[in-house]
Amino acid sequence: MPGFTHLRTVSGFSLRYGASHPERLAGRAEERGMDALALTDRDTLAGAVRFAKACEKAGVRPLFGADLAVDPPEPGERGGRGARRRTPVRGGAFIDESTPRVTFLARDGATAWAELCRLVSAAHRSGEGPPVLPWEDCRGDGLTVLLGPASDVGRALAAGRPDRAARLLAPWRERYGDALRLEAVWHGRTGTGPGSLRLAARTVGFAAEQRLRPVLTNAVRYADPGQGPVADVLDAARRLVPIAPAGPHDSGERWLKGEAAMLAVAERIVEAAGFRRDTAYRLLEQTRAAAAECLVDPQDDIGIGSVRFPEPGLVGAGRRTAQRVLASRAAAGMVLRGYDRRPDARTYWERVHHELDIVAHHGYASYFLTVAQVVDDVRDLGIRVAARGSGAGSLVNHLLGIAHADPVEHGLLMERFLSTRRRVLPDIDIDVESARRLEVYRAIIGRFGAERVATVAMPETYRVRHAIRDVGAALSMDPADIDRIAKAFPHIRARDARAAMEELPELRGIAAEAEEHGKLWELVEGLDALPRGVAMHPCGVLLSDASLLARTPVMPTSGEGLPMSQFDKEDVEDLGLLKLDVLGVRMQSAMAHAAAEVERATGTPLDLDAIPPDDSSTYRLIRSAETLGCFQIESPGQRDLVGRLQPADFHDLVVDISLFRPGPVAADMVRPFIEARHGRAPIRYPHPDLAEPLRETYGVVVFHEQIIDIVHLMTGCGRDEADRVRRGLSDPESQGRIRFWFAQAAAAKGYSAETIARTWEIVEAFGSYGFCKAHAVAFAVPTYQSAWLKAHHPAAFYAGLLTHDPGMYPKRLLLADARRRGVPVLPLDVNRSAVAHRIELESDSGAWGVRLALSDVHGISAAEAERVAAGQPYTSLLDFWERARPSRPLAARLAQVGALDAFGANRRDLQLHLTELQRGARGARGPQLPLPGGHRTAPAGLPDLDDAERLSAELGVLSMDASRNLMDDHQAFLDELGVVSARRLRTARHGDTVLVAGARAATQTPPIRSGKRVIFTTLDDGTGLVDLAFFDDSHDACAHTVFHSWLLLVRGVVQRRGPRSLSVVGAAAWNLADLVELRREGGLDAVAPRLAEPGEPPAGADPVHGRRIRMETGYEMHPWADLQPPGERAATGRKLWHQSPGSAG
Amino acid sequence: MTILCVRFQLPPMYEAALPGLLGLLEEFTPVVEALPPDGALADLRGAERYFGRGAADLAPVIRVRALARYGVDCVIGAGPGPMLARMALREARPGVTRAVPGDAAAEFLADQPVAALPGVGSRTARTLCEYGLDTLGRVAAAPLSTLQRLVGTKAGRELHEKANGVDRGRVVPNAVSRSLATERAFPHDELDPDRHRRALLSAAEELGTRLRALDKVCRTLTLTVRYADRSATTRSRSLKEPTAHSAALTKAAYGMYEALGLQRARVRAITLRAEGLDPAEQASYQLTFDPLDERARRIEAVADRARAKFGPGAIVPGALAA
Repeated sequence: MPGFTHLRTVSGFSLRYGASHPERLAGRAEERGMDALALTDRDTLAGAVRFAKACEKAGVRPLFGADLAVDPPEPGERGGRGARRRTPVRGGAFIDESTPRVTFLARDGATAWAELCRLVSAAHRSGEGPPVLPWEDCRGDGLTVLLGPASDVGRALAAGRPDRAARLLAPWRERYGDALRLEAVWHGRTGTGPGSLRLAARTVGFAAEQRLRPVLTNAVRYADPGQGPVADVLDAARRLVPIAPAGPHDSGERWLKGEAAMLAVAERIVEAAGFRRDTAYRLLEQTRAAAAECLVDPQDDIGIGSVRFPEPGLVGAGRRTAQRVLASRAAAGMVLRGYDRRPDARTYWERVHHELDIVAHHGYASYFLTVAQVVDDVRDLGIRVAARGSGAGSLVNHLLGIAHADPVEHGLLMERFLSTRRRVLPDIDIDVESARRLEVYRAIIGRFGAERVATVAMPETYRVRHAIRDVGAALSMDPADIDRIAKAFPHIRARDARAAMEELPELRGIAAEAEEHGKLWELVEGLDALPRGVAMHPCGVLLSDASLLARTPVMPTSGEGLPMSQFDKEDVEDLGLLKLDVLGVRMQSAMAHAAAEVERATGTPLDLDAIPPDDSSTYRLIRSAETLGCFQIESPGQRDLVGRLQPADFHDLVVDISLFRPGPVAADMVRPFIEARHGRAPIRYPHPDLAEPLRETYGVVVFHEQIIDIVHLMTGCGRDEADRVRRGLSDPESQGRIRFWFAQAAAAKGYSAETIARTWEIVEAFGSYGFCKAHAVAFAVPTYQSAWLKAHHPAAFYAGLLTHDPGMYPKRLLLADARRRGVPVLPLDVNRSAVAHRIELESDSGAWGVRLALSDVHGISAAEAERVAAGQPYTSLLDFWERARPSRPLAARLAQVGALDAFGANRRDLQLHLTELQRGARGARGPQLPLPGGHRTAPAGLPDLDDAERLSAELGVLSMDASRNLMDDHQAFLDELGVVSARRLRTARHGDTVLVAGARAATQTPPIRSGKRVIFTTLDDGTGLVDLAFFDDSHDACAHTVFHSWLLLVRGVVQRRGPRSLSVVGAAAWNLADLVELRREGGLDAVAPRLAEPGEPPAGADPVHGRRIRMETGYEMHPWADLQPPGERAATGRKLWHQSPGSAG
Repeated sequence: MTILCVRFQLPPMYEAALPGLLGLLEEFTPVVEALPPDGALADLRGAERYFGRGAADLAPVIRVRALARYGVDCVIGAGPGPMLARMALREARPGVTRAVPGDAAAEFLADQPVAALPGVGSRTARTLCEYGLDTLGRVAAAPLSTLQRLVGTKAGRELHEKANGVDRGRVVPNAVSRSLATERAFPHDELDPDRHRRALLSAAEELGTRLRALDKVCRTLTLTVRYADRSATTRSRSLKEPTAHSAALTKAAYGMYEALGLQRARVRAITLRAEGLDPAEQASYQLTFDPLDERARRIEAVADRARAKFGPGAIVPGALAA
């Protein structure tokens, strides 16, 4: 006898409702002997693809459905919606979940799936409030409808009104007829509500009376017994209320019960309904029959595994085939770029024909045309666009204008991108300006139509911090406690919470109090990886033919209102939907802004795509390692690597970017490369034949392309096969087979055993560490462009960076860098500042300076900034107030940072005037006019802001220390301590013990070669940057301080690895802000005991017990490395300053 | 140097002890002004001559008497006027009386934060700090007209005078206990309106009982709801007529609570405060033809007697009994 089929099961994709993943559900169904299982998530089909795949693996037949809130035909059934309640003064209103819910199951293949998609999309259509399916949309062929306890009919039964239930049933019957089922559920609850025996019995009785078929379900919310408390937390998180200690709580019965348990349930129900006990089998039979009718095949009906491109007519191939159009456009590209007139034109033509053959082989021509169309459209909008990824290796892409770099010249291979041997959808990623990304999306929708385009969803899942916040709130913990605990954790998985507390030194404080929080940790781990919300994926765009909406449910994104598929990136790939990655890159926006500024200020247009290659001053800048703000090479590790590698041309940049990856760093490919490059070690090749591909990197394998070439040369298998081999290398199983094959094939070509062994060693060690050269070339273009801007138009460069903030460092650090490089920083001024950062010729020095932007003022709205900028110039405070109409707090902030200094009087007097202007605006103008004597503002005798207050105001309002570096104020104290400045540090010797201090700029715990956890952080002290590393042995004493302080004083030892490579290995760290406070209050004598305090003694044994995570790529990693560290990301201005009692506001 | 400001270190919500402590002060001088819930001002001008020692020297006497007779410690500040005495109190500790002589007033005030000045509430203090006038020294240095522009004409003048050490206040003898308060805390975040109402009912019952025991009536009822994030909402309502009748207090409390319309707010405590206390005999009472009201009052009187005999828990409203 086949097992019971659960017709109503929700997974974690029912946001904050289901407690188990689809994979878990499918696995449990198989373990408990079930043949089939339905997934009926609330308001979404997002779990369907994962569920289908998991079911396939488990050997369970998947049924698809959705549980939707349906606006009932009778308005009276809307529950509490009619009665408007008073708006609460605090805490917000209850989440309204009163709309009746109905389960829809897809029955008849592809039409049913399409209908299901349509229903879900219709429920989300309004885009505001909870999704509700309007009654007029609630019709569909091929669907089975379950009316359960939460439906309007079920509610009427629960209320003891079978008459009313019969009346409510009529419209359902009219629409769905035979496809209607009544759903009985028993969870052992008392009373007559959902889950009670009496309601279940009433339902079965009512079904008999109405001649409808009843089914039995368990309304499953979690896979296993004992997950009730997790469901309670989810309920609390969804409804935004704490768990009431008095209940009602989850019954604990809503798990994936097996056949026997469900039979027992059925028996109780039919007996309670007054039938004979063996009627229970009839009930189960009905349920089974309902399941058997639902025939939706994941392959045929949902479309997993098939590919659909937009219709060729839409991409300029109306009358000819797409392949013909592609060929002629490629040929046109050859002519346009002049490749047909080059001496090596033949190479190019051969490559083009070869690539076109591959494209034709797969029939992907319209894909290329689609991407080309998108890129053309983007370029027509005047938006910077660049291709990235392996697509840059295709000459056709280059000829179509998708990729910038010439793949032939850079030695990029088509096979890495697409070959006849690989049947995967190629992917071409394009980078656009981040600030205009949505514009690009809208252009794509405009071009292809809303029925073919949708963005991709990205489920946000519970990680430890959110899990702590939601569980803590559900358990009524003190909000301050919740916040403190959550922030103490690095961004790790929720299920690692307790392990992290045991192992991480900076969590020792939390671990000590862990017991007090009781169930918290267990529940936090129970939420692990459950989706808690859904956002738009930052780059994916779906492009399909007109059948898109029949294949994916679509909802509008909150905020932008763009159509978004409920499927995420991986689902979309499984579904064979064409996804184009359109990535918003802030650096592109920053460079566009910089170029526009240069043009605005000087009148000469600047085309960044046409700047001279190999510019010597650009490479001089890069070699100096002062690359803050430059794309890809600004991180501390990269600055160190650039300093050691000393790039001299574009190719060096490509290598540099490829080397700075976890893989190559871990495999220590960096050192031999640098040694060979500087001639300190000889260049070695395993065989002279391999000199050709390896010459460019001094015999060190850096790129995927080189491995492909090596395998190709040694075995003669062809590059397409070689790429397949390369992909197989990362899998230990296939590696053995490849090794055998490689030895055989190479021996057949006459290579000696020794050569083969040596080469295999290289190939094997390389694994999949390396980097696709096409990627690196695509990255290196903006890297060079940004460095060129920094070398030639520094002011515009900083203006662009400050406006679009692309980097890893806080803005104030960029400002400090600008000051160090002699770019004047001009203060905010309502008569001169624009919405964005601008460049301005400073009259004193004749240098271009950066004028700070209005948009950086805390709390300014876009409209206000526009208005202020549009009204310039202003002649007086009154003029400004009347025309720019700033809000009072905004005007006060502008006054505090000196943006109104031009109007006379001091900053506090200005504030007083502003207050009175506001009072005047409300109609009660005081007896005295605030502005006597024309345009100047009269002084009121208030004390002006002192220096410290001004700096504090700048940090508070602009989050930047605009007038000077905030560390300057502590200089006297730092001199007392004997702190070495970043500038003086450059002359320090290797092994010196030094004291350094500064504002913490960026902190990381990246995976590193030794498999240890190292905390890297960068301090800024106004004279430069100090890069610090804290190794394992100092973590006990330092980790907490480093993660949770903004100003640091660190004792450490200088490490030198080259003339430009310098870092400090930290041994002790103190919170400088505390020390400054002590110094101010108690003098040096108060500071001394703090410095004398021993750090916590080292814990001795390694708490991780040598546990290492073995990465796919073969190297080992510390379990807690590569995580976003605890604390807050980077200091914003506000936090860097103690608000003194006399602060400016 | 004749005014003392005394703060008794009473356990919270123990205002009932204050009248006795004021009696202690009245042994020294008849000019005693109560500062509920736990303080008092005493003008010792006459007493200095009588006792033959200065006010500051009398402070230890007051302290030992309070300790000996009531077991209550106190801190004492002394100054030439009520304002300076109150400000001096801020720096006093048990056993250490802080005295501010009149000629040292300006020096003493200069470093004091504005919020320390009696009569400067949190709002005025915020306004002044916003304009950099965070200490009284800076306030004193600011032009009078500017101060008046900041806080208004009258308040500005007063502020100017006070900041310059001009203390025009006098000690006005008054009665004790201008307010009574009681709090109901919840052990966890409580959202259930029924439990909130039960807390209100029980608090109102308690206030009524205490008021009647003191023979007082109150004019105003104030409801403070505290939330999990340590914020609070406060609402006040003037009663139709001054009363100590539990039913009337409960009705007013319910009214204020309903007006908040709380739904998801995480309530941790509810405080009810009866303000504007007057002697019961001065209260007017609107007679009605409704016998229910009359009956309720009679039952209340009986219940009060039963409580007096068998303890406060002897009779409680049915809703609270469960």
